[in-house]
Amino acid sequence: MSLGLIVLLPFFGALLPGLLVRAGRDTAAIGAGAVTLLAAIGVALNAPEVLRGGVVSQSLPWLPQAGLMASFRMDGLGLMFAGLILGIGLLIILYARHYLTKQDPFGKFLSFLMAFQGAMLGIVLSGNVLMLLVFWELTSLTSFLLIGYWRHLPEGRQGARMALGVTASGGLAMLAGLLILGHVAGSYEIADILAAGPAIRSSELYLPALILICIGAFAKSAQFPFHFWLPQAMAAPTPVSAYLHSATMVKAGLYLLARLWPVLSGREEWVWLVAGTGLLTMCIGAVVALFKDDLKGLLAYSTVSHLGLITFLFGLGTKAAAFAGVFHILNHALFKAALFLVAGIIDHAAHTRDLKRLGGLMRLMPLTFLLAGIGTLSMAGVPPFNGFLSKELMLEAALEAGHAFGPLIPVAAGLAAAFSVAYAGRFLIHGFFGPVRHDYPEYPHDPGPGLAISPLVLAGLAVAVGLMPEPIAGGLVRLASGAVTGAEIDTHIALWHGLTPALGVSMAALLGGAVILAAYRPLARGWAATPRPEARLIYGQIETGLRRGARALTAWLLNGALSRYLGVFLVVTLAAGVWALGGAPGPETRPMLAVPPGVAVFWALLVLGSACVVAFHRTRVLALVAVGIVGLMVSMAFVYLSAPDLALTQISVEVVTVILMLLALNFLPKRTPAPEGAGPRAWQMGAGVIATLTGLGAGALSYALMRRDFAFEPISDYHLANSVPGGGGANVVNVILVDFRGYDTFGEITVLGIAALVIYALTESLLGGPASRRLIAWTPDQARAGDRHPLMMVVASRVMMPIAVLVGVYIFLRGHNTPGGGFIAGLVMAIALLMQYMASGFAWAQARQKIYYHVLIGLGVLIAGFTGIASWAFDRPFLTSAFGHVHIPLLGDAEIASAMAFDLGVLLTVVGSVMLALASLSRIARRAGGEVLSGLPAPHDDDAEDRR
Amino acid sequence: MTSADFSVIWPELLLALAAMVGLLVGVWTGKDRTTATLLWGAVGLMVALGVVLGFTSWEPRMAFGGLFVDDGFARFAKVTVLFSAAAVLAMSVDYLKRRDLMRFEYPILIVLAVVGMMMMVSAADLMSLYLGLELQSLALYVVAALRRDSLKSSEAGLKYFVLGALSSGLLLYGASLTYGFAGTTSFAGILSVLDEGPMPIGLLFGLVFLITGLAFKVSAVPFHMWTPDVYEGAPTPVTAFFATAPKVAAIALIARLTFDGFGIAADEWGQVIAFLAAASVVLGAIAAIGQTNIKRLMAYSSIGHMGFALMGLAAGNVFGVQAMLLYMAIYVGMNIGTFAFILSMERDGQPVTDISSLNFYARRQPLRALALLVLLFSLAGVPPMLGFFAKFGVLKAAVEAHLYWLAIIGVLSSVVGAFYYIRIVYYMYFGTETEPLDRRMTAVQWGLLMASALVMVAGVVNLVGIEGAAQAAAASLVR
Repeated sequence: MSLGLIVLLPFFGALLPGLLVRAGRDTAAIGAGAVTLLAAIGVALNAPEVLRGGVVSQSLPWLPQAGLMASFRMDGLGLMFAGLILGIGLLIILYARHYLTKQDPFGKFLSFLMAFQGAMLGIVLSGNVLMLLVFWELTSLTSFLLIGYWRHLPEGRQGARMALGVTASGGLAMLAGLLILGHVAGSYEIADILAAGPAIRSSELYLPALILICIGAFAKSAQFPFHFWLPQAMAAPTPVSAYLHSATMVKAGLYLLARLWPVLSGREEWVWLVAGTGLLTMCIGAVVALFKDDLKGLLAYSTVSHLGLITFLFGLGTKAAAFAGVFHILNHALFKAALFLVAGIIDHAAHTRDLKRLGGLMRLMPLTFLLAGIGTLSMAGVPPFNGFLSKELMLEAALEAGHAFGPLIPVAAGLAAAFSVAYAGRFLIHGFFGPVRHDYPEYPHDPGPGLAISPLVLAGLAVAVGLMPEPIAGGLVRLASGAVTGAEIDTHIALWHGLTPALGVSMAALLGGAVILAAYRPLARGWAATPRPEARLIYGQIETGLRRGARALTAWLLNGALSRYLGVFLVVTLAAGVWALGGAPGPETRPMLAVPPGVAVFWALLVLGSACVVAFHRTRVLALVAVGIVGLMVSMAFVYLSAPDLALTQISVEVVTVILMLLALNFLPKRTPAPEGAGPRAWQMGAGVIATLTGLGAGALSYALMRRDFAFEPISDYHLANSVPGGGGANVVNVILVDFRGYDTFGEITVLGIAALVIYALTESLLGGPASRRLIAWTPDQARAGDRHPLMMVVASRVMMPIAVLVGVYIFLRGHNTPGGGFIAGLVMAIALLMQYMASGFAWAQARQKIYYHVLIGLGVLIAGFTGIASWAFDRPFLTSAFGHVHIPLLGDAEIASAMAFDLGVLLTVVGSVMLALASLSRIARRAGGEVLSGLPAPHDDDAEDRR
Repeated sequence: MTSADFSVIWPELLLALAAMVGLLVGVWTGKDRTTATLLWGAVGLMVALGVVLGFTSWEPRMAFGGLFVDDGFARFAKVTVLFSAAAVLAMSVDYLKRRDLMRFEYPILIVLAVVGMMMMVSAADLMSLYLGLELQSLALYVVAALRRDSLKSSEAGLKYFVLGALSSGLLLYGASLTYGFAGTTSFAGILSVLDEGPMPIGLLFGLVFLITGLAFKVSAVPFHMWTPDVYEGAPTPVTAFFATAPKVAAIALIARLTFDGFGIAADEWGQVIAFLAAASVVLGAIAAIGQTNIKRLMAYSSIGHMGFALMGLAAGNVFGVQAMLLYMAIYVGMNIGTFAFILSMERDGQPVTDISSLNFYARRQPLRALALLVLLFSLAGVPPMLGFFAKFGVLKAAVEAHLYWLAIIGVLSSVVGAFYYIRIVYYMYFGTETEPLDRRMTAVQWGLLMASALVMVAGVVNLVGIEGAAQAAAASLVR
C-alpha cells in the first residue's frame, strides 16, 4: 500500500465516527479500529522491504513551483514509530470505548483521536521536513482539542492552552531552523538533507539552525525548560494521556532528534545542548515525580524524566547511545502506556487518583495490581523487565561519557535512576500495599475485560521484551537505530552482560531508591517546605508580563495624540534623510549667488515672519499679520529674481487669501486655545526640538540641492527658447500657463471652480441647520467699529472700481507678451469687486450684481474647454494653440493667439470663484449680525443712507 | 493611438464612469434611497471586471506613452483588489443598513478608491503613481470618517488625513527629487539612469522619501500610527475594506517602484525595505498582545502581515515577489473571512468588538467557531493552514537572499503573534461564562466566512491554483 494512502487513512477514519456514532458507540469504535488496522496492514505490507534494509519512499508533486514535494519515506525508524502509533492506537480505541461514559461525546473523541493518529503517522512517514512540520503542528492542534475534551474542567482549559502555546510556538521556531537547514542543504527532502551532513556541520549557520530546531523538539518532548506543559496536559481523559503524552506525541521531538542525528550530531555544541538538556530534564523530572500525589501527575513527571533520558542518549552522539535511546523509546512506550491505563482504571474504579486516599488496592484489584507491578518494576529498571535492559545501556553510555566529559554525568544519571526507582516504588506501594481502607470515594473493583485487555497486552509485551529481547525486539531496534545513525549496528541486547560497572550503578540505584522511599515522609515534608520555582507559574508570569509590557509600549507609542504620531513620523524621516545622505553629499557644483544687503534684510524678515507665525499662532490675528509678511517677502523675492508675473500673482493671491481668512476669523475665536494634555514641559521641549531639526533638515536639503547641478539642463531653457516660436508670446510664464501646460491650467481652473461651488454649498447647508440658529444668537466677541462704512472709503472704492477693472483688462490683454495674464487680471478684478462689498456693504453690492458668480465660473470653464476642442477642428490635439498677426486700424499691428480665448476662460473662472467664495462667507456674516451688512432700513444704517 | 490607449485602460475608465453616473443618480434620486442598488451594482461590476481581467490575456501592454502598464503583475493585483473590494461591499450591507449608514456616497467612494488602486498597480511612471495614489487616498480619507456623528470616527478620519497629507507631501518631494536627478519620471528611464553608474545622492534621497510615503500607505512601522485608530474608529465595513484591497494595491505599488524603477538590490538600499519589514513584524506582534478590542487587534495584525509581505520584497528577487503576491492574496482571503465574522458580532443588536464577548462561543455556534479557529490559525501561520504557506514562502525568500536575521526575526515574531490569535481561540472554546452574542448572521457573511475558512484548509492541496498566476505575475515584474 502506498505510504501516502497509509497517512491519509486515519484522516479518512476521522470522518467515520461522525457518521457511525448514531449506530452506536461500538460501531463507531469498530469503524475507527478497522481503519487503524487497515493502516497497520498497510505498514506491514511495506515492512519486508524495510526489514531487508531498504527505504520505502514515494514522491508526488505537490507545489512544485515552491519546491515542495509530497514525499513519504519509511525506514527502520519510521517503521518502529508507525508500528507503535498504530498498535497502541488500536489498544487505546478499545480502552476508550469502555473508559468514556455515556455522557461524553464519543464520536467527537474518536474523530480527534483519528486525526491525531494521522498527523502522527504523517510526522514519522514524511520524506520532506516541511511536510513533517505541517503534521507536527497538526498534532499540536489535535492534542489541543483532545486535552480540552472535558471542557467543564478548568484545569483542562488551562492545560490545553498551555500545551498549544508551548508546542505550536516551538514548531514555528523549528520552521526557522528547518528553513536554514534546507537552505544549506539545498533541498527540503529528508534524504537530501541526510546526505548533506558534512556541509551542514561545517556551515556557519549550524548553530542557529541547531538551536531553533532544538527549541521545537524540546518544546514538543517536554524538555526543560519547556517541560511544564506536560503535567498540565494531564487534565485530558486518561486514554489521551496514555496515547499522546507518553507513547506517541511527546516522542515526536525525539523522533526529530533521531531523524536529524546524522546531520546535526558530531559537533560539541550538539552534545552540550542536547545531552545537557536531557540530563537536566531527567534529574528534575525524577525528583519532582517522587513528590506528586496525583497518580497521573507522578506519571507525567516520570515521563518528563524518561524523555530526558532518551534526549540525553541521543545527545551523547555515539552509536551505542543512540541504540540505547531507540530501544528505550520502544520500552518506555510499552510500560508507560500500560501504567497510564492502570491509573485510568484506578480512577475509574475508585473515583480518585490521589495516592494519599488510596492504598490497599492489592486485595481489591488483584489484576490491576499485577499490571501495575509489571509496569512499575519495568519503569524502575528492575530485571528481568524491559526497562532494565535499556537502563543498563543508558548507564553504560553515561559511564563512557563520564570519561570524556567528567564524572558529573554518570553521577547524575545514577541519581536520576535512584529517584525513578523511588517514585515507581511509591506508585506501587502507596497505591496497592497497606491495609484496605474504608473511605475510598467509590468502592474499587477490578475492571471488566474491555478496560483490562489493552494494559494487559502492553504489560505482556513489556515482559516478553524483557525476557527475550533479541528475538522480539532486537532486529527492529537494530534496524531503527541503524536508520538513526546511518551505519550498521551490531550491538546485541542481553539480560546478562556480566559484572559490568553499569550493573553496579544499577544495583546501587535500586538500593538508593529503596532508601529514598523509606525516608519518604521526612523528605516530603522537606520538599513541601523548600521554595522552588514553579515553571507553570513562571510561564503565567511571563505571559502576564508580556501582556503588560506590550500594553505599556502601545500606550507610550500610540497614545492617540496626533503630535506624538507626527513626532515619530518626522524623526524617522529625518533619520532616513541622514542615512540616505550618508554624510557625503558630493562637491558643490554651482556657485553661490551674491547676497546684497537689501536681500539679506528681506531674508531676515522672511525668517522673522515665519518665527512670528510659530510664536504667536495662538493669537490668530497676529499670526495672520505674520503670514502676510511672509507672503510679501516671497513676492519680493520674485521681484528680485526678475519674475514679475509670479510676483504679481503672489501678491494678488496674498491679498485675496488674507481677506478670506479675516472674514472667516470674524466668526471664530480670536485665540487658539491651548490643547489639553499637551504633556509635560519636557515633551513640549522635545516636540520643539524635533520641529526645529526637521525645519533645519528641510532647509539644509534645499540648500544642498540648489548648490548642485541636476542631471540635465533645466527645462526653463526649453521654455525660453520655444515660447515665441511655439506659443506666440514673449511672456514665458503666461505661455506656459496657457500653452505648454494648458491642460494643467484647464484642470486647475476646473478645480478652482469646484472649490468655490463647494464653499457655496457648504455655507448654504450650514445656514439651513442648527448652526444657523447659533449664528443668529451669536454676539460678536469684540466691539465693532462705530462707522462700518466710512464715506471716504465708499467714495474711493466706487471711483476705483472702473479704473481697477480697466487695469484688469489691460493686464489681461498684454499678458501674452509682457507680465500679466488672465489669472492676475482675474484677481485684480476680483479685488476691485471685493472692495465694493467691504466699503458699501453686502446688500448694496448684491443688489447691484448683474451676473451670478456661478455663471461666471461655468462660462470660464466652458470657454477654456471649447478653445481646446476647437483645435480638433484643425485636426490638432486638444488645446493646440495658434496665433497670428492682425492689423487693426489706428492701433496698429496686434497679435492674436487662440490662447487668449483660453486665458479669458481663466479670468472668468478666477473672478467667479473668488467672488463666490467671499460672497458665501459673507452670507454667514449677514445671518449673524443682520444689521451689520444687510440692507434693512434702520435709523442709523449707512446702507439705508447710501440708498437715499 | 488614443483608441489603443483606451483599449488598455477601459476597465479603469468603465469603473470611473460608473462611479460618476452613480453619483449623479444618487444626487438626483434624493439621497440614500438608491444606495442598495448602487452598492450591488458596484459589486456586480467589480466581480465581472475581476473575472474578465483574470481570464483575458496577460500579455504586457503599455498605454499613454509609457505612463500606464497592464502586465501580469498588474492583473494579479487588480483581480485581487476587485474581488476583495466586492466581497467587502457585499458583506457590509446588513451592517450599514442597521446602523443607518447606507449613504449613497459609500459604494461610490469605494469604487473610486478601487479605480485609484487599479491605477496604482499599473503605474509605470511617477506621474501615474501619484495620480492613482491620491485618488485612492482621498476616497479613503472620506470613508474613514463615514460615520460623521461619531467622535471617534471623525477623529480617526482627521488623523488619517493629516498624516496622509504629510506622507503624500514627502512622496511628492521624493518624486521631484527623483525627477531632478534622473531627468525622467518614467520607471524605465530611472532604471536606465541607474544602470549607467552609481546612484546619484539626490536619487537615493528621492527614493527614500518615496518609500517613506508609500510605507505610510501599507502602514509599515514606523508609519503605522494611524492604523489602530482608524481601524477602531471607522465603521467595521470600512475597517474591513482598509484591511484588504488598499493594502494589496499599496504593496504592489512599492513592488512596482522598487523593481521597475529602482532595481532593488537586497544588500544595498533594499535594507530600507528590510528594516520596515522587521520593525513591522515585531511591533505588529508585540503590540497586539495587549489589545482587547478585536478591531484594534486586527489593525496590529495587519501591520505584522504587511511586514511579512515586505519581507518578500526585501529579498529582491523573483521568488520574493512571487511569495509576496501569494502572501497578499492569502492574507486578503483570511481577512475577508475574519471580518465577515467580526461584522456579525452583535449583542442585543449592538455591535461588540470586545474579545471577551467570544467566551464559550464554540458551545453555541460550533461551526462558526471552527471556521474562525481555522482562520485565526491561518493568520498565525500555523500549519497546515494556508497562512503557513504564505509565511513559509516569504521566509524562504528571505533566507535565500541571505537575510537570515530578517527570517529569524520574522519567525520569532510569528511565535509571539501566535499567542494572541490562540488567545481568541481559547476564549471561544473555554473562557468563562458571559452574555452570549446574538445568533444573527446574514447569508453573505456566513457564506464568506465558511468559504474563506474552507479555502484556508483545502488550499493546502494546491494553494487554490493561484501559485502559477503569482509566478507569472512575478515573472512579468522582475525581468
